[in-house]
Amino acid sequence: MAASVRYLLKPWTPSLYLVRWSRYNPYYLDPDPSKDARVLESELSPEQKELQELKTVRPIKAALSSDTSSSFNDPLISKFINMMMQDGNKILARGIMTQTLESIKRKQVEKYHKSPAAKKEEIECNPYTIFHQGLENCKPIIGLASVQKGGKSYQVPVPLTDNRRRFLAMKWMITECRDNKHRRTHMYEKLSQELLAAFANEGNVVKRKHDLHKMAEANRAYAHYRWW
Amino acid sequence: MKHNVIVINQLITVNNLLFSTHLLTLFLLNMNLHKLSSRLCPTVTQKFRHLHIQSSGQQLEAVAVETASAEPNPLSVFRTSEQDPAYHSERQSGQYYTFPPAHIQKLFPHGLPPRFQLQIKTFNEGCVMVRPPALELISYLKRADYSKPPLRYVLYGDTGTGKTLSLCHALHYCYTQGWLIVHIPDAHLWVKNCKELLPSSSRPSRFDQPIQASQWLKNFKITNEHFLSKIKTTQRYVWTKRESTEMGQPLGELVDQGVNRMKSSSDVVGAVLRELRLQAGGITEGEGAFKLAVAVDGVNALWGKTSLKKEDRTLCEPEELTLIHNLRKMMKNNWSGGAILTALSQTGSLFTPQSAYLPNELLGEEGFDHMEPFVPVSVSNYDEKEFESCYLYYLDRNWLQHPHSRSEEGKKELIFLSNKNPSILERLCAFL
Repeated sequence: MAASVRYLLKPWTPSLYLVRWSRYNPYYLDPDPSKDARVLESELSPEQKELQELKTVRPIKAALSSDTSSSFNDPLISKFINMMMQDGNKILARGIMTQTLESIKRKQVEKYHKSPAAKKEEIECNPYTIFHQGLENCKPIIGLASVQKGGKSYQVPVPLTDNRRRFLAMKWMITECRDNKHRRTHMYEKLSQELLAAFANEGNVVKRKHDLHKMAEANRAYAHYRWW
Repeated sequence: MKHNVIVINQLITVNNLLFSTHLLTLFLLNMNLHKLSSRLCPTVTQKFRHLHIQSSGQQLEAVAVETASAEPNPLSVFRTSEQDPAYHSERQSGQYYTFPPAHIQKLFPHGLPPRFQLQIKTFNEGCVMVRPPALELISYLKRADYSKPPLRYVLYGDTGTGKTLSLCHALHYCYTQGWLIVHIPDAHLWVKNCKELLPSSSRPSRFDQPIQASQWLKNFKITNEHFLSKIKTTQRYVWTKRESTEMGQPLGELVDQGVNRMKSSSDVVGAVLRELRLQAGGITEGEGAFKLAVAVDGVNALWGKTSLKKEDRTLCEPEELTLIHNLRKMMKNNWSGGAILTALSQTGSLFTPQSAYLPNELLGEEGFDHMEPFVPVSVSNYDEKEFESCYLYYLDRNWLQHPHSRSEEGKKELIFLSNKNPSILERLCAFL
């Protein structure tokens, strides 16, 4: 019994070598640093109860230094900061993110205070909901994959996983702000404009998503080339 | 005990008796909030506590009891209806009052900190908290004798505790009382990053800064328009072979001369300051009498180092700059009929360590000797009541958007992260 557990905790290599893989044995569980992880026993479903049991027994991976136990911690925002980061300069990336959130909030709160009482409830002032909703509006539903058949490669419409969709939305947002805007504006300014436009379903990133959908729709004849 | 002795010695050098008695009254009023300790001099305790604020939150117990006014309307806990700074007292301490928009445009074309200007733009109103240092300053201004030389007040404190805004509050009081305002928003801007440093036209070993001087004269004109036609020059000023200002011309002409002719603008600034100094308390009749308020933020720049270089690439001394030289003359108390309000600042200062905030560290030996004797006013972080008020204000203005920040635990986190420092709290709440 002890020998089999020791085998599972040893350094692990996958059977098929991938480009990006975690050196952790899959036996290890992911950490959950939030204080709200503690829920009452009676409210859990059987699967969740099983998970709680596992957590008491199994080893857990080390938490990242960017995760906090406070409720201000947002995994989507952390992921976005990591994607914006260049050369490991997390402080700069996090600073840009906070400035973006601040500038979104300033624009919306200014609009809120200047508008008449009837229109005040329609204005969304929370930068976090704007960020989440804007990113949601940029996520493509269907993507294209290149499949080679008979010497020619075709663009085949293909379903995307959640992670891939989230990645594409963030990547498009960042590249759009880096490349297609005026060179002398700050990144937080560009990001805030683009996020506010995405929240209203306008702007270049949403347009890019629509273009991808149209391409997928145009290529639907090749859909049966997909074998997975 | 040693610390007490040193602070007592410093107190003795101050020549205003009202200072210690007023502190005593303030202390007695706050008895229910602070713990009493039996030391030699209770006033020393007050000062000592402000100088040694611990960064850990251990000493702070949650003070649940609000000692605010017993008004039933919950909205008015953090806002006061008293908009005139002359009537502000300890009753309004911790509450916000609004600057009238007309006053902001006239009085503060350049005086407010940039983040506060952003806040005015976002919230569509300019609200400032009434805090003890500003109340102290205003009470001294009310009771001072203006036939004697001016008193020098120095606001000092850690970074981000509210020195500049307290100065602006006191200046608003002076403006509503009809004083003439000479406001240098940041003296550090005059000793660094100067694109054009010209050798002075009037004196061989001085340097002029035309852009900064003309910019300041424009703002001075906006603030004090109604005084410019009443004050007359007492001397003939010659600028070039063809230009001169005669005796008896209104001050407005002198200011226009400086704004239009950039080359002599630094000398014009010197002339304007000299005229104001001579005439401030001189005339005691009704028509021409005015009181002069000289407000300088970042006054430690006048005696620090500059980062400007002369043409032979040696460092410039602050003494060699015309603007600084004239300002130093203004800081001396050899005139009468006004007050000198100053605030120290480490943030923009050159070649000073980040931990320095006390007057003798920032002013240096030369500055301290020049400014002595002065009335020090210490500015510290928010206490529980003021933090509560600030939190409620942000909630009211729809600024705290994150759902967790509106809960009790989120509030405790904010207290922990900011240590109730006003500027850090403001920056934290900006993205939450």
